[in-house]
Amino acid sequence: MPARSNDLALPTDTEPAIALRGIVKDFPLKRGAAVRALDRLDLEIAHGEFVAILGPSGCGKSTVLRLAAGLEQPTEGEVLVEGRSPAELIRAHRLGVAFQEHALLPWATARNNVALPFRVAGREVDRERVDALLELVGLAGFEDARPRQLSGGMRQRVAIARALALEPDVLLLDEPFGALDAVTRRRMNLELARIWMEQRITTLLVTHDVDEAVLLADRVVVMTGRPGRVLHVQQVEMPHPRGGEVTRDPEFHALVDRLTGMLDDPEPVAATS
Amino acid sequence: MSIDALSASRRVPVAQEGTARPSPARLLTRSLGRVLSRYWTVAAFVVAWQLWSWLTGYNQIVVPPPAMVFGDVLGNIGAYLPDLGWTLAMSAGGLVAGMALGTMIAVVVWSSRIVSGMMTPVALVMRSVPVVAMIPVLARVFGYGWFTVLVITTVVSFFPAFVLVGSRLRAAPQATSDLMAVLGASRSTVLRLLLLPHAVPGLLVAFRLTAPTAVLAAMLAEYLMGGRGLGTLFAQSVSFHEVGRAWGAALVATVVSVACFVAARAVERRGTVRFS
Ligand SMILES: Nc1ncnc2c1ncn2[C@@H]1O[C@H](COP(=O)(O)OP(=O)(O)O)[C@@H](O)[C@H]1O
Ligand SMILES: [Mg+2]
Repeated sequence: MPARSNDLALPTDTEPAIALRGIVKDFPLKRGAAVRALDRLDLEIAHGEFVAILGPSGCGKSTVLRLAAGLEQPTEGEVLVEGRSPAELIRAHRLGVAFQEHALLPWATARNNVALPFRVAGREVDRERVDALLELVGLAGFEDARPRQLSGGMRQRVAIARALALEPDVLLLDEPFGALDAVTRRRMNLELARIWMEQRITTLLVTHDVDEAVLLADRVVVMTGRPGRVLHVQQVEMPHPRGGEVTRDPEFHALVDRLTGMLDDPEPVAATS
Repeated sequence: MSIDALSASRRVPVAQEGTARPSPARLLTRSLGRVLSRYWTVAAFVVAWQLWSWLTGYNQIVVPPPAMVFGDVLGNIGAYLPDLGWTLAMSAGGLVAGMALGTMIAVVVWSSRIVSGMMTPVALVMRSVPVVAMIPVLARVFGYGWFTVLVITTVVSFFPAFVLVGSRLRAAPQATSDLMAVLGASRSTVLRLLLLPHAVPGLLVAFRLTAPTAVLAAMLAEYLMGGRGLGTLFAQSVSFHEVGRAWGAALVATVVSVACFVAARAVERRGTVRFS
């Protein structure tokens, strides 16, 4: 990875890349009532680590990610990314995100969508890097296509290329393949695994697909139903790079089955942990 | 290349090969049929007009036959063109000024809560006042001249752009707004890179709604205030009992309004595909 010139001091290796400590998040409802989405959640992610958050829908996975992205403020607790508040990292344009909705600009070509972070940061667009990123996500030849002319999988790939544009310190992915069919999704998982091997960026992936989590992550964090809390943390020991053959590995299936069991019926596990 | 890449490349509209070319004769009948099926009402209108002028037996002062009116328009086109050009210039000028002003004020309102509170009631009141009622007032203020016509077309063009652009500025997709926030975009950057392009379809709808209205408003103002333009030509022809000319002016006005509508709709369709 090329040396980066930046105005922020390099964090020490002992300091986690992302730290959420004692997070409580209440969303206000009508007439003063509030819903507690997260309740005393703790999560730390090391530099260069790939962590997947797994949990039933509505358990607060997206809220965790939005907290790390500075899109929500915690009711209690602290969120630190690279040892600072997310807002500081955002001001330095060093956060990359991709959501379930691709959020591409419909009037811009694939190339211009990937170049968007440069324009937002007021930097000159590095056209070579933009084209290299499009090639990295397998979209060489589609530089001038508009989102409307691309398939769902291709749009998500543009969104991921865009997230990588400014060589972010931290990559946040919220079910980026959630809207895709199973086959496309698996292929995109393998491509993301390959891209991640090349870049080794600290990554937080939110998903409700157990296979996806085990395939990609160094560590899988399983959350309880609402209010969300960490139920279980699973280290995934299978070595990178993980290709398609991993999905036929018995160890992989054993892990997937265990984690799926926790999602199906979290109560007994919660009682024993 | 992967499967979804290939299937998408097929969806990109490139030259459509493989469709058999029909013979020229079939092509002609087909396009003739299409024209007839779409525009038969125009022909029916002319026929009804002809029948009306025959059957009522009025003299030509009341209902001149179509041939006479068409004849005057085509034969004395020089008598219409300067006024037509003038009216179109007034409409286009007001259209551009009004839509630009509407967009600008919409942006100002978007950027400031205070201005927003001030503008909305003003816009509502002014929008519910019909043009006809506004013309005498504006003429008093700005004088009986071309400038007032321009003011009126501007006023008419202002509100659709103001309202439609304003609502698009407020309706950017949440995910895209979130993305801009995470990328660290300033408010002005969000406006420039996301909101203004996102508002273009709103501006295009305003254009489609406004273009024919601006032409009609220009003619109405000219009719009521005098000066130059198609509206004045009509008013003068009526008062000098030049029936053919008066109907001719009305005919040209109708055709121009319809043409404006069709052209504006085409522009809107093209632009909307491009921006959404
Ligand atoms: N902006 C919001 N206002 C009110 N409630 C919210 C808001 N965002 C999320 N919630 C609630 O918080 C809980 C967790 O939401 P979310 O993080 O989106 O879950 P997940 O991504 O795991 O499906 C849900 O019950 C949801 O209804
Ligand atoms: Mg979610």
